[in-house]
Amino acid sequence: MSVRDEHELKYQVTLVELVDRVLNKGVVLTGDITLSVADVDLVYVGLRVLLSSVATLEEQREISAAGAQL
Amino acid sequence: MIHLYGLVQQLEELPDVPGVGGAPLERRRIEGFELVVSQSKKELQEVSEKAVLTHATVVEELMGRSRAVLPARFGRAFTGEKELSDAVRTKAAGLESGLTRVRGCVEFGLRVLAREARRENSQPLSGREYMRARLAEATERDRLSEELHEPLTRLSRTSTRFGGAGAELLQAAYLVPEENAVAFREYLRGLETAYPRLALICTGPWPPYTFADEGEDPRERSA
Repeated sequence: MSVRDEHELKYQVTLVELVDRVLNKGVVLTGDITLSVADVDLVYVGLRVLLSSVATLEEQREISAAGAQL
Repeated sequence: MIHLYGLVQQLEELPDVPGVGGAPLERRRIEGFELVVSQSKKELQEVSEKAVLTHATVVEELMGRSRAVLPARFGRAFTGEKELSDAVRTKAAGLESGLTRVRGCVEFGLRVLAREARRENSQPLSGREYMRARLAEATERDRLSEELHEPLTRLSRTSTRFGGAGAELLQAAYLVPEENAVAFREYLRGLETAYPRLALICTGPWPPYTFADEGEDPRERSA
């Protein structure tokens, strides 16, 4: 994974965390907060994909670090 | 329609950023509370990425200009001034305690991922051995997540753990007094070195969204 990809990944993770907070956290004053958004589900799908990319990224780092030691 | 960004305390002046849909920000004072809102003629609010980012930008800007900010969730907008003031009146006690709770604090988010342990020996396990191994693994995950979480709670005013699913060993949010924010980040950096087999994703400092509403998933919230 290139530096640029890593940068992009960090941006995406931050964005997902942000959207999660804005839509799912925060104080609620209106009685109902039902938003008809298909987008919200997409956020969660996005999050799962992102988390697996993070794990992959860490794995690759470890492999390349091990390679460098040889 | 009135869109609410949050409640503030001692806001110096409104930030020079547009509200959702480009509408100008406005202040309201209801029941002694200071609110930041914007108005729109649209009946239906659009929940686009842009609108969410605009809401977040306003809240972020308010953080730097107020003594306390209680961020509002991006939800259905209020139909008018009366609905807004009725809602504030109904929730007054919770809003007051919310403002007190978050004052002087920022939020950090943490996700910890454990990579799948590689099977060293590929010998098939018996049913009983398999169950035992799974149990041991689960116990170890619980122990490890507690080991990571507990010291962070000591730097926090309060914290919340979420049910980490799948690969996530720990998912939590921490309400950290501003004076502890640097120590909190440094501690996390230390964890990265101490646990090379874990992936730590720390985000923040955020406005205290997760701690704005009392009674929202208070699971394992500690004082």
